[in-house]
Amino acid sequence: MSKVVEISDANFKQEVLESSLPVLVDFWAPWCGPCRMVAPVVSEIAELYESTVKVVKINTDENPNVASQYGIRSIPTLMIFVGGQRVDTVVGAVPKSTLASTLEKYIPENGIA
Amino acid sequence: MTEIIHPTQASDKNLEAMRHFSEQYAKRTGTFFCVDPSVTAVVIEGLAKHKDELGAPLCPCRHYENKDAEVAIAFWNCPCVPMRERKECHCMLFLTPDNDFAGDRQDIAFDEIRAVTNQV
Repeated sequence: MSKVVEISDANFKQEVLESSLPVLVDFWAPWCGPCRMVAPVVSEIAELYESTVKVVKINTDENPNVASQYGIRSIPTLMIFVGGQRVDTVVGAVPKSTLASTLEKYIPENGIA
Repeated sequence: MTEIIHPTQASDKNLEAMRHFSEQYAKRTGTFFCVDPSVTAVVIEGLAKHKDELGAPLCPCRHYENKDAEVAIAFWNCPCVPMRERKECHCMLFLTPDNDFAGDRQDIAFDEIRAVTNQV
């Protein structure tokens, strides 16, 4: 099943900012249509990059603090964090290829982050 | 499977109002619902829920610092300004026919919406 872990305002720092692996964060909300389209893509990415990227999702309705802190406006928004810093942002429901190529930029060539 | 928290649905009254509005507006603007009807269903439920809570159908595909203030500004009240001016609906409720995700429907039944949103 999905390797995408649901995180919250409370553990964002620990799960994302303090992660040793690059992290893909899916900012989503229950009544957001395109979030339903991007969720399976994010899930596939999680399986594909299982050993090199950590993939998490955060419900912006229930966790407004992190969403506000990172200036989330349109949802879904996908953000990539490396070493506690946001390094890239993808807005909207995007195809797997787009997400994968964005992510590849932040994965070291030997595949071990 | 543990602790699945289901978000609350909208009132039947406002769900029906937003369902009807969505059908009429799609027909009036020559736009179509998404090829995946579950996208249409959750967005209409979200609009209806905002109408219940805030008195206006604020876009459910945005994050807001202050929802009441956004309703007063009205920019993201459905149909939002980008939709009215350029037929741009990032929520994928109203899609122009050239959009890859546009289906061929401009109608959705009440029960069809609830069949999806009961599972969310």
